[in-house]
Amino acid sequence: MTRKWCLAPNLGSSRKEHSPDSPDSVPGTDLSMVSRRDWLNSFGLGFGGLALAEMLGRSSVAADARGDGASGVLGGFHHPPKAKRVIYLFQSGGPSQLDLYDRKPLLVEKTGEQLPDSVRGGQRLTGMSGNQSSIPLVGSPFSFAQYGESGAWISELLPHTAKVADRLCFIRTMYTESINHGPGVTFMQSGNQVPGRPSIGAWLDYGLGNEHDDLPSFVVLITKNKGGQPLMSHLWGAGFLPTKHQAVRFRSGADPVLYVNNPPGVSPENRRQVLDGLRQLHEHQFAGTPDAEITARIANYEMAFRMQASVPDVTDFADEPQSVLDLYGPDAKDPGTFAANCLLARRLAERGVRFIQLYHQDWDHHGGLKGGIAREAKQTDQPAAALVQDLAQRGMLDDTLVVWGGEFGRTNYCQGLYKPGQDFGRDHHPRCFTIWMAGGGIKPGTTYGETDDYGYNIVKDGVHVHDFHATMLHLLGIDHERLTYKFQGRRYRLTDVHGKIVKGILA
Amino acid sequence: MIARDDLAEKPREIMVMRDLPQPKMAYILNRGDYDKRGEPVEPDTPAALPPFPADQPKNRLGLARWLVDPDHPLLARVTVNRLWQSLFGLGLVQSPEDLGSQSTRPEYPEVLDLLAWQFSHPVADGGLAWDMKRLVKTIMLSQTYRQRSIADPKTMADDPLNVWLARGPRHRLPAEMIRDGALAACGLLVEKVGGPPVKTYDMPESFKPEKADTGEALYRRSLYTFWRRTGPGPVLESFDVPKRVVCVAKRDTTNTPLHAFVLMNGPQFVEAARVLAERLLADYAGDADRALARAFEQLTNRSPDDEERQIVQTMYEKQLAWYRGHPEDAEKLVAIGATKRSEAIPVADVAAATAVINALMNYDGTVVKR
Repeated sequence: MTRKWCLAPNLGSSRKEHSPDSPDSVPGTDLSMVSRRDWLNSFGLGFGGLALAEMLGRSSVAADARGDGASGVLGGFHHPPKAKRVIYLFQSGGPSQLDLYDRKPLLVEKTGEQLPDSVRGGQRLTGMSGNQSSIPLVGSPFSFAQYGESGAWISELLPHTAKVADRLCFIRTMYTESINHGPGVTFMQSGNQVPGRPSIGAWLDYGLGNEHDDLPSFVVLITKNKGGQPLMSHLWGAGFLPTKHQAVRFRSGADPVLYVNNPPGVSPENRRQVLDGLRQLHEHQFAGTPDAEITARIANYEMAFRMQASVPDVTDFADEPQSVLDLYGPDAKDPGTFAANCLLARRLAERGVRFIQLYHQDWDHHGGLKGGIAREAKQTDQPAAALVQDLAQRGMLDDTLVVWGGEFGRTNYCQGLYKPGQDFGRDHHPRCFTIWMAGGGIKPGTTYGETDDYGYNIVKDGVHVHDFHATMLHLLGIDHERLTYKFQGRRYRLTDVHGKIVKGILA
Repeated sequence: MIARDDLAEKPREIMVMRDLPQPKMAYILNRGDYDKRGEPVEPDTPAALPPFPADQPKNRLGLARWLVDPDHPLLARVTVNRLWQSLFGLGLVQSPEDLGSQSTRPEYPEVLDLLAWQFSHPVADGGLAWDMKRLVKTIMLSQTYRQRSIADPKTMADDPLNVWLARGPRHRLPAEMIRDGALAACGLLVEKVGGPPVKTYDMPESFKPEKADTGEALYRRSLYTFWRRTGPGPVLESFDVPKRVVCVAKRDTTNTPLHAFVLMNGPQFVEAARVLAERLLADYAGDADRALARAFEQLTNRSPDDEERQIVQTMYEKQLAWYRGHPEDAEKLVAIGATKRSEAIPVADVAAATAVINALMNYDGTVVKR
């Protein structure tokens, strides 16, 4: 028996030092073998005080309680954060900036005329309008007015948003690299057009950990019964980060979290008895096999029992006064609507959830824009404005960042033939679109960036998706260049090798 | 042979891959744009790796032969490492996706090399001839694998990940094994091979809800559970099944309270516990003590010691008292799942045993390999 080959040089002797980029992904194993009592005492806590973060294999409960972001891989903030949490109201499909926020009288004037080549500048069009023989400009059929002391231009479709205009910062010059929905939404949510990178909330959970006892740090809420472009669960996934960093999606049905409720025939008292028996088994096992993984398991089951109370507590609006429900509008009592999700987002934010991601679909108005955009505006306008107002009334807007926006904008020209007086559509437009941000370190009552009179190109202060991400992380106390994870041979960031903080929108 | 004939006869069309007579040219795409072609490129292997044999065709067959060429250790090392990882929870090289110059360095390169050499060489030379089963056997019969999973406190503290292999493996079972294990224990598991994907009880709870299937589809191995693109079934997903968005060579093994919800409240597990309860109470003529001891064995692969037996028995007595006092709850509990309940045993007895067996499905000894 001969061995034809021997050790390759890269498989030489073992390297002992711990690499910060290869965090322990075997939860529980980072705890040395100690007695259960020592283990609990070391935190000065009994089971009741153990945090979910600890159950998820994180390092320090005490750090969580301080809310200093120290339970994540960063071990604390890079600089003092302006925002402690984010509520991101994602409007999927590409809402038309030209009919909501970016007023262009020239387009109204030139409706029916061709988009000049000098404006288009060789922009590649989608397959949907790229072969049109005519690309006629079309102005917004909706009227605009200026609101608040800041004088923000807002369309008649958003009367409630108009009322909180002085609290918002409109960025008219967002731009992206993607011209279609799948890559576009994935880019906004993960900084890359191709699925596989961690979403924003996953990066935050990885970097800062979880501040709350019995709720996850990253929650997703989706408006129910919506059509339009599909959403996929990788949008709130952890990508190449450990799966524990992905969002927990709260559903609108009886079980907000998968199987959180006892099955039929099991009452809380009865469940308590069973858990006590299970704990005895685990304690007996721990006596013979003193492994911290077993104590972690015991604590997990206690935490699960508590979550059975805390999860329904956050999703049940019974304790909300009528005035608050009225603020969010008539849908607020109907779970799973955008209004109910906005209110639920505030309740989650109050309880320390760091990243609350809402999705509202069906802004993809290639045709029937007049009716379609009015419908989506009606469903979202009042709740989004109510959320800002509600947070402000509670003093929470100062450290809560609220974001409203989609994955790209829509064209200044009509998709298909333009027939005066009839409904029409707009195609996807990546070169400029409007989002708004509010609260958490954002300069209120501002409009940032300028687009040209055709609403086609950016004239001043463009904000790339990477810049948006860099700014969001900055507000959360993170240097976007220093939150990294090594995967397949190199280090990755949310902003990859890009991203500049948009100083002009900071308070 | 009938099954094989079925395979050959039934499909109307079978996709076959073969090379075009004139292969299509591929090009460098400038900055990745599909319509910006640069220089044409030819198939070849990376220069840093062993050279592609001159006498082999530059197609998939040639690639396969290059991969399994016993003159280099690469494929064998990667394969052995992944199998080691699935048995120990951690590979000899901790970065199974990367055994290159930036990989995590192995504590025991000699072990990896020896196993890789054996795996890739013919039996006549003392090798295993790429036989996975023999490789599993080789590792599992080793003294290293058969060690106890707990070591002295100092070793545990100094080597929390068990890189030194001074103790045996200990890790939570992967999602599929947890579900399949519960189904196997209660006898509901359908071991049929092949066929289209099945929609389990949790499909209506998934992000893109689907109606659950009926009949044996509910009890097939988790391997056959339906996936929608990047969305695995919710039960499997909660136990760290990757979303299949990127290639994941090492799964996470989290330990979270969300697992408790699935195992204690999910209909798959409640039903499995009830079916096992009915079967064992029947087998042991209502002797709950013996029935539950047997359930313990089936779920954990060991007999309960006296104290465990006592704890389980006390749990049962309390549950029995509870369900005798709440017969309507007992009826509700035993009605969960599509498998019809057996009327032969009093409902409170079944409900009580169901609750205890379900608790055992949550026990460390059931879901953690030690």
